[in-house]
Amino acid sequence: MGCETSKYAAVSYEEKLRLFEQVKGDERFAHYLYGCYECGVCVAVCPSARFYDFSPRWIAQALAREDADLVYKFMNEDVWDCSQCFSCDKCPRKNSPGGLITILREVAVRNGLKSAKDALEGYGRIIYKIMSTGTQVAPDMLQPAAFPDWGPHVKEISENLQWWRRALPPETLHTTETSWDVSEQTLRELYLIWHVTGVMEMIKEVDEGLHMILMDVMEEKLEEAGFDLEATEED
Amino acid sequence: MPIDVAAMGKSSRTFHRDPQTVKSRPLRDRVLELEAEGEWIVHRVPEPYVELENKFGRVKKVPLGHTWHHKSCGQCGHIPGYSTSIFWLHRKLGLDYRDPRDQTSCTAWNYYASATSNSAAQAAVALRNFAAAYETGYFPLIHCATSYGHYKEVREELLASPQLRGEVRRIMEMMKKPMVMPEEIVHYSEWVHAARHQVAAHKVLDLSNIVATVHPACHYHKLVAEDAIYDPDIYGGQRTAVVTATLKALGAQVADYSTWFDCCGFGFRHILVQRDFTRSFAVQRKIEVMKEEANPDVTITHDTGCVTTLDQSQFAARAHQRKVGIPVLSEAQFCALAMGAHPYRVCQLHWHNTETRPLLEKMGIDHQARWREFEADVERLKRGEIEYLTWEDADA
Amino acid sequence: MPSERVLIIGGGPAGIEAARSLADLGIPLTIIESGERLGGMPITAHYAALTPSFEDAEQAMGRMIAPLLGNPAIDVHLQSTITALRGAAGNFALTVASDGTQAEVEAGAIIVATGFQHFDPGRETQMYGYYEFDDVITLADSERLLKEHRFVRPSDGRPPERVAFIQCVGSRDRQIGNEFCSKVCCGVASKQAIEIRQQLPDSKVFIFYIDMRMYGYWENQIYWPAQEKYKVNFIRGIVAEVLKKGDRLVIRGEDTTLGRPMEIVVDVLVLSVGMEPSKGTREIAKLLGLPQNKYGFIETQGAPLATVVTAVPGIFAAGSCTGPADLEDCVSMGAAAALKATALLRKKAPAGGG
Repeated sequence: MGCETSKYAAVSYEEKLRLFEQVKGDERFAHYLYGCYECGVCVAVCPSARFYDFSPRWIAQALAREDADLVYKFMNEDVWDCSQCFSCDKCPRKNSPGGLITILREVAVRNGLKSAKDALEGYGRIIYKIMSTGTQVAPDMLQPAAFPDWGPHVKEISENLQWWRRALPPETLHTTETSWDVSEQTLRELYLIWHVTGVMEMIKEVDEGLHMILMDVMEEKLEEAGFDLEATEED
Repeated sequence: MPIDVAAMGKSSRTFHRDPQTVKSRPLRDRVLELEAEGEWIVHRVPEPYVELENKFGRVKKVPLGHTWHHKSCGQCGHIPGYSTSIFWLHRKLGLDYRDPRDQTSCTAWNYYASATSNSAAQAAVALRNFAAAYETGYFPLIHCATSYGHYKEVREELLASPQLRGEVRRIMEMMKKPMVMPEEIVHYSEWVHAARHQVAAHKVLDLSNIVATVHPACHYHKLVAEDAIYDPDIYGGQRTAVVTATLKALGAQVADYSTWFDCCGFGFRHILVQRDFTRSFAVQRKIEVMKEEANPDVTITHDTGCVTTLDQSQFAARAHQRKVGIPVLSEAQFCALAMGAHPYRVCQLHWHNTETRPLLEKMGIDHQARWREFEADVERLKRGEIEYLTWEDADA
Repeated sequence: MPSERVLIIGGGPAGIEAARSLADLGIPLTIIESGERLGGMPITAHYAALTPSFEDAEQAMGRMIAPLLGNPAIDVHLQSTITALRGAAGNFALTVASDGTQAEVEAGAIIVATGFQHFDPGRETQMYGYYEFDDVITLADSERLLKEHRFVRPSDGRPPERVAFIQCVGSRDRQIGNEFCSKVCCGVASKQAIEIRQQLPDSKVFIFYIDMRMYGYWENQIYWPAQEKYKVNFIRGIVAEVLKKGDRLVIRGEDTTLGRPMEIVVDVLVLSVGMEPSKGTREIAKLLGLPQNKYGFIETQGAPLATVVTAVPGIFAAGSCTGPADLEDCVSMGAAAALKATALLRKKAPAGGG
């Protein structure tokens, strides 16, 4: 195979093998792939297979055959078409093509592949929101420019946002920048998690600017909380 | 003797789930085993609880009250009447609950969209929230089906990997929080299902002329499928019973359509940055099929992403003269309306995109009067007469 | 004093062949059968024709049973079950419960031939609408319709224009925990497809499969004629969903040869349900102390070079109580068990007796 296009870099077979080994090295891999007898159940229930030139069966097959060339191609192209709905968990062999794709994407991000950066283009603001505030879909994200296809309704919400948020009986929901009011200590604990599990390094690989902004937000609060990050570096 | 062909049909077949035939070990046993080995504390389901049947015929305990509400970022952020209705139902049924600030999102929407995280981080986020619930003594009730599905996945991973448990334990120790796993991972729609007869008993509207279609959420019934609730009386025990059983208990008509099993098209990343896919799928595979085969007054679902996708995707399709126009509600909102909740103060239907007024009319709700009341609330807020709308205001 | 009698539990093909063989060898025997008749699954499930011979099931089984009837050395207990076991090889004593009464039977050896049951297609993960739609039936339901020459839609009694089979229902599935192949369903489905085309020449028949497992002569006796003469459509891919559209069924899967999702309208859908140990097999295994494998079948010892020996001396097992088996397997095992039981009796007999 190996019909690399401008979408992603042509790399040596050794590099493809190195990436494949990372995929295989994920602890979940053995639970997500047993073998594939090509029954097609995963494709039949897959929403993405109906709209893209995409097949969860190809992903399972390429990985089961340990075809590093094909895996590299899929890691750069197909994985971003998946809807992560896990309809394919219906597999009679108990494979999880959707779970395999989660791993493939994670390796692509961790290694800063260009295709991963491209796939996440325009998505940085959402990563920023979830990592810095602990809630992802904040009310103030409902802006007409962000959702032009949702019609004038979005404009109406954005114009009335502060009043409509106050018109919510639950006391935790009066926020506009977060989905609910998350306590300070809770956020510090969340930041700690991102730091000690290597997520910050992953962000650095795909978006250095975003990494810098997030570090700015987090460092001070982590210090206030008294978490000693030096001591938490992974061995 | 000639055979009676008609007697060979489904009426002659009754399915009985037999947990004895299931070969996998019960998840609860494995969770309790790790508690016995000192690995974590198991947060027990508080009484009173209802015993429901899961997909493998095993008992699942669903608590009625004393619950810690693990909110959904998509619900609270964009469809806040969803969360508000869940709370309102608890208040009306006199059930004790907590709406915590010490809660983060499960962060799984981002994880499934961008993969900018990993197993250890995801498990730590889950266990941090579980510990926060445990510290209050209230049992986690999870509002979002993706959080529910993801936490079930996290539980599987933790059960399978001592190394992952070790990593998470190290982080929990840094936070000075205990390692806690709930005895059951419970979705709010299971709570609604368990409480459906109580809800029906408080019903103030006649819903017998309302036709609804049901979209079951993928992350509810496909991801770690065992936990989902089934009932031999609903679809012959062949599809999850949540939502459908509730609608039936309320006396509404449930209409079937051929793409019920299909995903809504949310796609996690697609809804945010590749919406052409989401719109096409939601309209062509779900809304148009429902319209053609069932022509419902409303479609009811039980998850954040599904409400968002099915509701918001119809706007652009309407511009292209496609057969759309089905209002989309969660069953929590539908139950609240049935019990007399205010459509705007409680169910907050003005956050929904597809027109809900014809539905409200058919349900016998004076939406014009209710909207004027809500507008008056907003005016009072603007004039500074009130700071926020309170629960008392909501039922005034 | 060792007993010279052999007790056979189960009167299906394996048990009957064991009885015929023992009778030929002049060994007195008792058959315990829980049903109303001898003949086993081909009779109780109303099979039309046997696979692969296409011989009428009732006639074929009748011919097999005939020599057992009226033979004074053969004691047949119908609608009876075993409730207790004492003793050891050479001197077993079994309690037989029948119609509210209990009796004791002595036997030197026991042959278990308690068979299988069809997989229940409502379970766990492979939900194909059997409990939702009238026109979804199983291989066993289909045999019954074919036997009466009335292959019709149960919903309205009309003959179908289009029929589809789904293979591997309840077999080869890690989610359900039945990882094994049930061995006969490919042949039985293809045999039924031929019968449907014979009875309804205008019908169109599809078989959706993962692999067609047509061992030995089944290939040329069933598979090729189905495809070449009867124009049965074999499509590689398993159906994932069954839905109702109007008064017909829609099935969805992937045609894995063409690599695209497909949707096909059918009138009758036949689920090729696999084999699981029968309730009788599971109960008798516990009662007699026979180890079961993880699927609940009785575990035989010494495979592949021994087929009927169990972990308990003096107790042999034959047929589909030991795992998926076709008729040839069952009959061969029945005969082998009879021989092993006879050899044991001779060894246990007093000096000069054998």
